[in-house]
Amino acid sequence: MNKKSGILGVVVISIIVVIVASMSSSTDETFDVEMTRTHGSISTGMGSPLLGDPLAPVTIVEFGDYQCHQCYNWFHDTKPMIMRDYIETGKVNLVFVDFAFLGRDSPKAAQATYCADDQSMYWEYHNSLYTSQESKIDNGWASSERLKAFAFNLNLDMDSFNECLDSEKYSKRVQYNSQQARDNGVRGTPGFFIVGSDYEQQQIGGAQPFSVFKRILDSMI
Amino acid sequence: MIEILKVIFSNFKFLALSVIIFSSMMIVLLIISEFIFLEPYFVTHIPSGSELGFILITILSGLSALVIPMNLFRIIHLKNSKQKMGGSIFGAIVGSAAGACSCGPIGFAVISTFGSVGATATAFLTNYEIPIRIIAILILMITYFTTIKSLKTECKIQF
Repeated sequence: MNKKSGILGVVVISIIVVIVASMSSSTDETFDVEMTRTHGSISTGMGSPLLGDPLAPVTIVEFGDYQCHQCYNWFHDTKPMIMRDYIETGKVNLVFVDFAFLGRDSPKAAQATYCADDQSMYWEYHNSLYTSQESKIDNGWASSERLKAFAFNLNLDMDSFNECLDSEKYSKRVQYNSQQARDNGVRGTPGFFIVGSDYEQQQIGGAQPFSVFKRILDSMI
Repeated sequence: MIEILKVIFSNFKFLALSVIIFSSMMIVLLIISEFIFLEPYFVTHIPSGSELGFILITILSGLSALVIPMNLFRIIHLKNSKQKMGGSIFGAIVGSAAGACSCGPIGFAVISTFGSVGATATAFLTNYEIPIRIIAILILMITYFTTIKSLKTECKIQF
C-alpha cells in the first residue's frame, strides 16, 4: 500500500512539474506576430518597426549600413520625397533591415538602433545616425562612446541603453538581418525591394533617384 | 604642344583609341560610382555633394584618353621604351580603383572574398577616394608633360 502510494505520489508530482514547466515556458516564449513578419520573399520580423501606415498597399524594404555613404545620399536626397508623397499619405510603408558589412563599427551601430527601439525611439535614433554620419568608415564616429552620446542627445534612459549596447543584446538580430540580405541577393547598400499587396516584388540596387522609385511605386499602387 | 597632338590624333587609329578609352572609362567609372544606373531603368543622377567626384572622373578619363594613345604613338613610331606607358596605365588604374570599393557590389565582393583584409582595403579606398583620384590625375599630368617633352626632342619638331 505504502509502495503504491509512493509511486502515485511520484507520478502526481511529475505531472505537476511538467505542467508548471510547460506553463512557465509558454510565458517566456510569448508568440510575437511581428517576429514572423514577411514582405515578399524577405523575413523582415527582425528589422525595424514599420514606418508609415501598416495597412499601406506597398512596402519598401531597405537594406542598409549606417556607415555607407550611398545610404547617406539616399537618406538625404530621395527618402524625404518618398516620405512626403507616399509614406505620409498612407500609400506606402517602409521597413529598414540591417546589412552591416562595411566596417567593424557597422554591426554595433545597427545594434544600437534596436536598443533605442526598446525605448520606442527606433526611427529617431536611425535618423540621428544618418544625420551624423561622417564620410570615413571606422574613423570612430560610430564607436560605442559616440553611439551612447547619440542616445543621450535623444534623452534615452542611459542605464538601460548602455546595458543593452554593452551586452550586445541584439548581435544575433543584426546577423540575422544581414543574412536575409545575402539570401535575397542583395550585393551592396543601399538595396531595396518594393513589395506590392499581390506579392509583386521589384528590386532596386543603389541610391537611385526619386524618379525611379516614383515610377515603380505608381505602377504598384 | 598642339602640333604634337595634331600629329598624333590626325591618325584615325589613335583618335579612335582615345575616344574608346574616354567613353569606356567614363561609363564604367560613372556606373561604379553610382552616377549611372542601368537597372531597373537607365537613369543618370548626380547626388548633391558628389559634384567633385563627377568632375574628377571626367578629368581622369580625359587625361587617360590623351596620355595612353600618346605613349602608344611613341612606342610604335619611335620604337621607344615602354617606361612612360607604365605611368599612364598606373595613373588610370589608381584613379579607377578609388571609390570603386565603396558600399556597392564591388566593395561587397571584395569584403566577402577577402574578409577583414578586404574590409580594411575597401575602407581605405573609400575614405581617401578624392585624394587618390587627385594623385592619379597628378601622375597622368606628369606623364603627359614628360611625354610631350620626350616627343618634342625625339621628333625634332620645331615650334
